[in-house]
Amino acid sequence: MTSITLALAKGRTANSTIELLEQSGITFSAFHDKSRKLVFYSDDESIKLIFVKALDVPTYVEKGAADIGIVGKDNILEAEADVYEMLDLKQGKCQMVVAGKKGETIDLAKKLTIASKFPTIARNYFQKKGQSVDTIKLNGSVELAPLIGLSDVIVDIVETGNTLKENGLTILEEIEDISTRLIVNKASFTTKSDQIHQVMNTLKSALE
Amino acid sequence: MTLQSYIFNNAKDTNVEDFQIRDYMITTVKERFSTYGYKQVRTSTFEYYDLYSSMMGTVHPDEMIKVMDPTGKVLVLRPDVTIPITRMNALHNHNSNTERRFFYVLDVFRQSTEHAADKENTQAGVEYFGKGTPEIDAEILKLASHTLDDFGFSNFKLEIGHAGFFKELIAQHLSVHDLGKVQTLIKTKNIAELEPFLDKLSLDNNLKKAILAIPFLYGKPQFVIEKAKEIVQNKKMQQELQNLIDVYRVLQAYGVEDYCVFDLGLINHMDYYTGIVFQGFIEDVGKPVLMGGRYNQLAAEFGTDIPAIGFAFHIDTLVDTLKQQGLCKSSTENSETMIYYDQTKQQDALKAANQLRNNGFTIITSCIESEDSQQNTSGIYFNKEENIYMVSNKTYTFSNPDELIKLIQNEEEEV
Repeated sequence: MTSITLALAKGRTANSTIELLEQSGITFSAFHDKSRKLVFYSDDESIKLIFVKALDVPTYVEKGAADIGIVGKDNILEAEADVYEMLDLKQGKCQMVVAGKKGETIDLAKKLTIASKFPTIARNYFQKKGQSVDTIKLNGSVELAPLIGLSDVIVDIVETGNTLKENGLTILEEIEDISTRLIVNKASFTTKSDQIHQVMNTLKSALE
Repeated sequence: MTLQSYIFNNAKDTNVEDFQIRDYMITTVKERFSTYGYKQVRTSTFEYYDLYSSMMGTVHPDEMIKVMDPTGKVLVLRPDVTIPITRMNALHNHNSNTERRFFYVLDVFRQSTEHAADKENTQAGVEYFGKGTPEIDAEILKLASHTLDDFGFSNFKLEIGHAGFFKELIAQHLSVHDLGKVQTLIKTKNIAELEPFLDKLSLDNNLKKAILAIPFLYGKPQFVIEKAKEIVQNKKMQQELQNLIDVYRVLQAYGVEDYCVFDLGLINHMDYYTGIVFQGFIEDVGKPVLMGGRYNQLAAEFGTDIPAIGFAFHIDTLVDTLKQQGLCKSSTENSETMIYYDQTKQQDALKAANQLRNNGFTIITSCIESEDSQQNTSGIYFNKEENIYMVSNKTYTFSNPDELIKLIQNEEEEV
């Protein structure tokens, strides 16, 4: 049996996923947190693990470089990847929101400037509402943008809301609930159906 | 001045080796299509923008590559072949009962912001006009798998869905906006979000259950058919399902059922499909290598009523796959033979070259600058004093081209 390739982002997702898999008997004894290796095999060699950047996980899976991937919904939406989204692993729960300065209202008649790590999500959301927007792609410290006048509002993920609060921002609109998902390449789903279902069932039973 | 900066967009440049693979591929496809009675046609590279923009749910206007003609009309570079061939057939063949089988090898053009190379793609496909029977559906599927077999791919699958079954299930009950969302969720098998979304809509409980079941209706044909029977809502759906069952029966007669998986959640981005839809996957290739389906209503757009079905291979993806899997046969025939000649023997040498080429040999001629240049590689030499044919350490002399041809043929027979 050929092994299937699983793309993961290093960090929290990776650790919790490996934990889940180990609970159900698929072990990765070669893996440890500090290792800088990017490829690991499970002990029974049924799964080949590759570590990539979170935002790249959907790309690897869409192009078939990985058969399956585990990644946050935010990154799936931003990459607009054409993949199967088969399982909600219900981890890393947070929200995608529009946030701005307290008391700020969104005026549909006015052009809005949005700073975000997720310009595609921001654009799609406001397009659906019929609001014309300008997006500015930032790679971090997004909360700063409205404070210094770079943008009117931001679109970002919020877990506790503490960062927003400390910077004097507040949630204006909720866009979507975010959690970790299992995504599958459409071709692999057909050609490696049995192996993929095995992994899916393993994860499903570990979740329950 | 340097043209360095114009290199970025040349991703479709094809070198000699790649072109041979491509050529082999296209030849194989053409031969196979012909054995099923298909005849090659070609459609115009330029089409009217309005032809496509007036047909909802085909090619998105933003995806088309537009040019303007001198009168200001907007033209597009052929973004799809099925529509022009349907038009061609509708205009020329008014008698809808006659069967027509066409195939094509043509480039299609779509805007693509990310990869310049994706702007043009070669498609090799067939379009059948005439009958809407399960026998024809199965024959088309058999043709697809037969061709993949010819290429030497061992592990491939045809994924078959049914646009009619799916449309009957959801069509009347959902608004356009909701329909789009439901389709997206089913397409991505996103059950985690499909259920809460359906809960928000005021749908009949039975219908909701049926829609929720769709993403699970995939796998072995027998299994899918049994499961699908449970969610049939009305007579129309029953008919569509029966059509799928009939197709499966003929597929079994062809002996290709092992290559087939059913997926009733398969939704093609082209809205004109009415019956079976399908795509082909090869192991370790991330995207489909062929796509197609039945489109019985498309001809009505051109004023006739002709049932039709077709599919197309993505030649560029197949060429990459063939290379990647090492299945390409590099042609060794047609190796070149050199003719070296002295200036004084030019006429004799060129005459001989001409005669050899007429006999099918590949000849490269070269004038020898000085007497002492290397005369130890294989080839034909027209020296000042004598004519020599040198091959694998043997040396022959000859006086005229006929003698030379005999020598070469003898030599080839020995090898």
